[in-house]
Amino acid sequence: MEVCSDVEEQGFSAASSARERAGFGHTGRSFYPGTSAAIALFALALASPLWALAQRSAGSSVTADLPAGPMQAKATTACLECHEARIILQQRLSKSAWTKEVDKMTKWGAVVDPTDRDALIDYLSTNFSPEKPAYEPQRTSGSGKTSK
Amino acid sequence: MAGAAPSILTWALPQGQSVEFPGEDGMILRSFRFVDLEAPVEYFNTWLTPVPHFFVRNHMHEPSELDPHDWRLSLGGEVEKPITLSLAELSKIETHSVVNTLECAGNGRSLHRPQVPGIQWGKGAVGTARFSGPRLRDILQRAGVKSTGKHVMFRGLDEVPGKVPPFIRSIPIEKAFDADTLIATHMNGSPLPKHHGFPARALVPGWIGAASCKWLTEIKVLEAEFVGNFMSPGYRLPNQPVQPGDAVKPEDTHALTALNVKSVIAGPTDGSSLSAGEVPVHGAAWAGEADITKVEVSTDAGATWNPAKLGHDQAHYAWRLWSYDWRVGKSGDYTILSRATDSQGRTQPSTPLWNPSGYLCNAVDQVKIHVS
Repeated sequence: MEVCSDVEEQGFSAASSARERAGFGHTGRSFYPGTSAAIALFALALASPLWALAQRSAGSSVTADLPAGPMQAKATTACLECHEARIILQQRLSKSAWTKEVDKMTKWGAVVDPTDRDALIDYLSTNFSPEKPAYEPQRTSGSGKTSK
Repeated sequence: MAGAAPSILTWALPQGQSVEFPGEDGMILRSFRFVDLEAPVEYFNTWLTPVPHFFVRNHMHEPSELDPHDWRLSLGGEVEKPITLSLAELSKIETHSVVNTLECAGNGRSLHRPQVPGIQWGKGAVGTARFSGPRLRDILQRAGVKSTGKHVMFRGLDEVPGKVPPFIRSIPIEKAFDADTLIATHMNGSPLPKHHGFPARALVPGWIGAASCKWLTEIKVLEAEFVGNFMSPGYRLPNQPVQPGDAVKPEDTHALTALNVKSVIAGPTDGSSLSAGEVPVHGAAWAGEADITKVEVSTDAGATWNPAKLGHDQAHYAWRLWSYDWRVGKSGDYTILSRATDSQGRTQPSTPLWNPSGYLCNAVDQVKIHVS
């Protein structure tokens, strides 16, 4: 998992007032989940009613997940180190298009064992084919506005 | 492991629940990491787009740390005297303002058939703002561009994941010297927010959004167009129309520059049910470096067209709001279309011009409604 690991857990230096106004004090990299956040959320899931977890997660880091399947774990490792699942969930592509994407992303650093390449392409082109219904994106809520 | 947290969160989140995103209100979440936010078309009812409703397009991570006191903008390459400017020094240079409609080249990508890879933008990766800052040409003149300087390269502080090529692009020297090409530090009168390139971005008016590099830190004058992924194969169109599956040679493509002529219907919204009577049809139309000359509306799926009224507010690179007062007395299903024409004589085509990356989709816009 060496790819992108250097940009997952960075914090912030002391924020200047100008940077705060620009939003760096609120929506930077620490906005995204890391391992510690995952552990905290898991503990919360065990201790709290579902609605409370939903409230909490909606107000912090919310990422999506890839669909179940024999390649889910390997696709997660290969793809989600650098970007989140929504970028995949919204695609509706043919197998030849997925093949080009997987090969491009491998060139760009995605860790895909050569023996897994074909299975990964199958997984993506099965779950995200042109025949699948369109992806329904979520909306943002802008509470705690930081900009005009 | 990246997969540990998402499984819990996905299980906990009811379908359709909004995602808190400070300062970004009611936007369509195309991606959280990297941040890609689209405006719902019903937001296109003001000439200037409020920042919380302005689309966000990132190719990679935003800078995680950026202290304006430490930030510097360097200018080098084919110049007599390379210079480096602090934000304080940049702010002392005469400021110019441009109201510009900024649109992602991939806006409308999801409308192409067959679908093509990339962020599946609907119609809302576009917005209009007043951008302010020094003219790029004032800074170039300060450094003294050599006669060998033909292109100007921008590099931002985007943080590159993996081995992804850095986001670097260039524009021709003529556009760089245009009086309206800026190093923008402000947007709608306030310092640029983080998502829009704080503390400074290029503003290349009338051109695809990717030309207006965010978190700008380096400008370099080059002898030729920059060679890199985001100039080629990225952000290029085939010179001739192609069919899905056609092989396109790099030499048969050209770099994207100015935006197309285009209109979008902001209301009524697609799928809405309305009562018979007065139904205002309204939206926005833009044309890159050209001016909108007319917008026409059809309420009968294109059988007949009616002139729309153009809004009072206008600027060379900005969209025009438009409206058409439609009186409908009969219940039923209706297909409403909008079609813009510009000062270069361009008119929106009836269907998207398919291309391998889904760029510059500008087909006649369409909504279907029910009147009861």
